[in-house]
Amino acid sequence: MAASARNMANEDMVAESMATQALKGKYVLITGASQGLGRQLSLTFTEAGAAGIAIVARDKAALEAVQREVEAIRSGAGSTVAIAAQVQTAADIDRALNEIKSQLEQSIQRPQVVAIAADLSRPADVERVIATTLSAFDGRLDVLINNASCIGLSPMPYLLDYPLEDFKNVLSTNLIAPFLLIKKALPALIGRGGSIINVTSDAGVTGYPGWGAYGISKFGIEGLSQTWAAELEGSGVRVNWVDPGDMNTAMHRAAEPGEDPTQWADPAEVTDVFVYLASDSANAVNGQRFQAQESNWGVRALRSVA
Amino acid sequence: MNTLSFTLPEALAAKEPPERRGIARDDVKLMVLRRNGAVQHSQFKQIDQFLRPGDLLVFNASRTLPASLKGRVTTFSSSLEAPALGSSAAAGLEVRLAHRQQDGSWLALLLCQTDLRQKENRFACSMYAGMQIDFGQGLTALVETRDQRIPRLWRLRFSLSGNALIDKLHQLGQPIRYSYVSAPWDLDYYQTVYASVPGSAEMPSAGRAFTWQLLFKLKQQGIDAAHIVLHTGLSSYMDDALDEQHPASEEEYFISEKAAEKINQTRRRGGRIIAVGTTVVRALESVVDAQSVVQAGHGYTRLFIDADHKLEAVDGLLTGMHEPEASHLDLLTAFVPPAQLEPAYKEAVRQEYLWHEFGDLNLIL
Repeated sequence: MAASARNMANEDMVAESMATQALKGKYVLITGASQGLGRQLSLTFTEAGAAGIAIVARDKAALEAVQREVEAIRSGAGSTVAIAAQVQTAADIDRALNEIKSQLEQSIQRPQVVAIAADLSRPADVERVIATTLSAFDGRLDVLINNASCIGLSPMPYLLDYPLEDFKNVLSTNLIAPFLLIKKALPALIGRGGSIINVTSDAGVTGYPGWGAYGISKFGIEGLSQTWAAELEGSGVRVNWVDPGDMNTAMHRAAEPGEDPTQWADPAEVTDVFVYLASDSANAVNGQRFQAQESNWGVRALRSVA
Repeated sequence: MNTLSFTLPEALAAKEPPERRGIARDDVKLMVLRRNGAVQHSQFKQIDQFLRPGDLLVFNASRTLPASLKGRVTTFSSSLEAPALGSSAAAGLEVRLAHRQQDGSWLALLLCQTDLRQKENRFACSMYAGMQIDFGQGLTALVETRDQRIPRLWRLRFSLSGNALIDKLHQLGQPIRYSYVSAPWDLDYYQTVYASVPGSAEMPSAGRAFTWQLLFKLKQQGIDAAHIVLHTGLSSYMDDALDEQHPASEEEYFISEKAAEKINQTRRRGGRIIAVGTTVVRALESVVDAQSVVQAGHGYTRLFIDADHKLEAVDGLLTGMHEPEASHLDLLTAFVPPAQLEPAYKEAVRQEYLWHEFGDLNLIL
């Protein structure tokens, strides 16, 4: 379903979030950020005022290209400042101009961007990602987005014929890495009321023939998210998960080469719910599943009993 | 220097993390030592029985670095102490990072890459100011000078700095491990669950046994937590004579306004400040003022604490079991006189407590 199907309430909430710099001062870690949804989230979060963005992907060159895009964004650009001043003398004008300059400098921030090339299927790389991120941000982290995933073999064989090594590789990247990232990011998130957002899929609730390893990894993400949310209830850290729906991304095109990608949403059309969940507006939202392209984001409370 | 005398049998070294010897992370022993000398033996996971609502646990949130690097000497600067190039000059070195300096350089222990159990060989290879060490993957370091206070340490300047260096250390480095461990345990095992700021050469291990479940439970019971950061240096310079001197290394600390306020508020309300680790004692006692108020700040400390030191900032200490010659034992005598500490330690040996970073714990109240 395209973004046009979202209801006005969503639009209003997000418009307000963007206008008020909903993510101002927040430090964010986004995996799978070199393309598709991860790239778009990096750009959108910067526009929403994030103070620091750590972006992670395997492809170093593509990641650095995204880093340059993010660095080109000045969050708060276009801000209006108003000052009250009595202007009678040249000194008054100087004072007023200095005040305007100071306020603009405060409102127009350049985010700190850290690009980390890593293969998240390797636990040592997960530790490196967390250490580098926390070192850059002096131990601060507010938002973790577990977006990285791999589709596995393409074309996708049935489970009947799925080689063990390839099956393990998909689970390592798509399921074990998010588990480890949450575990290792938790010390930083827990004192700051952090938000964890896991990216899931329709294939994580329905078993489609041919989507074997990927789908099973997303079934795992659904369970991982529910369990973390239950265990962290009351800790101040919230865990929610988002099915972005069909998107026109390189990974999706590779998975379904016979389909018409123009029918799928652009990643830019599905980021609203992520901004909302990362913002303080959602600081009471924990343990819920969202569908980015549905009315009211298709929220379903799937929280287990803690 | 401490005057404790006890013998630590080799068998009492914790060779594995508790999780790898079949028990839970928090399922280690706890010796509770009152400052009047009374001793109780318990389990760490029952620590709440010895704490009160209103007490504050202060943790060191420093995260352990993979601070051991293997490198090869590649070049010598002609202007400095160039040695006659011999076979030893081309040999590999193990570099153990100790402290990051304010100017971005590092103090590090250089060890000949040999069997470290052969003590006489540890420093038998050439080490000179001006030599360059190549660690691979584009990382090199120039050895600048020998440290004046702790002569086994050298000042190194890496070819990378900041995040790029942290990233590269995690690609090339290993945690610093000592000979008593039974396997090359991953860096993961050398982290506390709450570690958030990378920078320690060795794990601040007193808090290792805490699990999130236990931390949540304590909070529910009104036992709050505050976090400071002190990046630890090396516990051993691999030189027995030097280690026995307990040279006070200079360690970097950060105490946030939030942590300082929590600590001061706890004391005003009559709660106790329980330091989790000697590093926390060192940091807090470095920043406490004459009115016993803890000040927020960032700095470097060389404070040496022993029986002559009057504790102003902390009321209790959770710590590991320390070796007879360890400087940490000196610090413990600031809490408990040696005459009471010694029988407690001897009893811990009799009860087969385990020593070192994966071992059992001692709560002093």
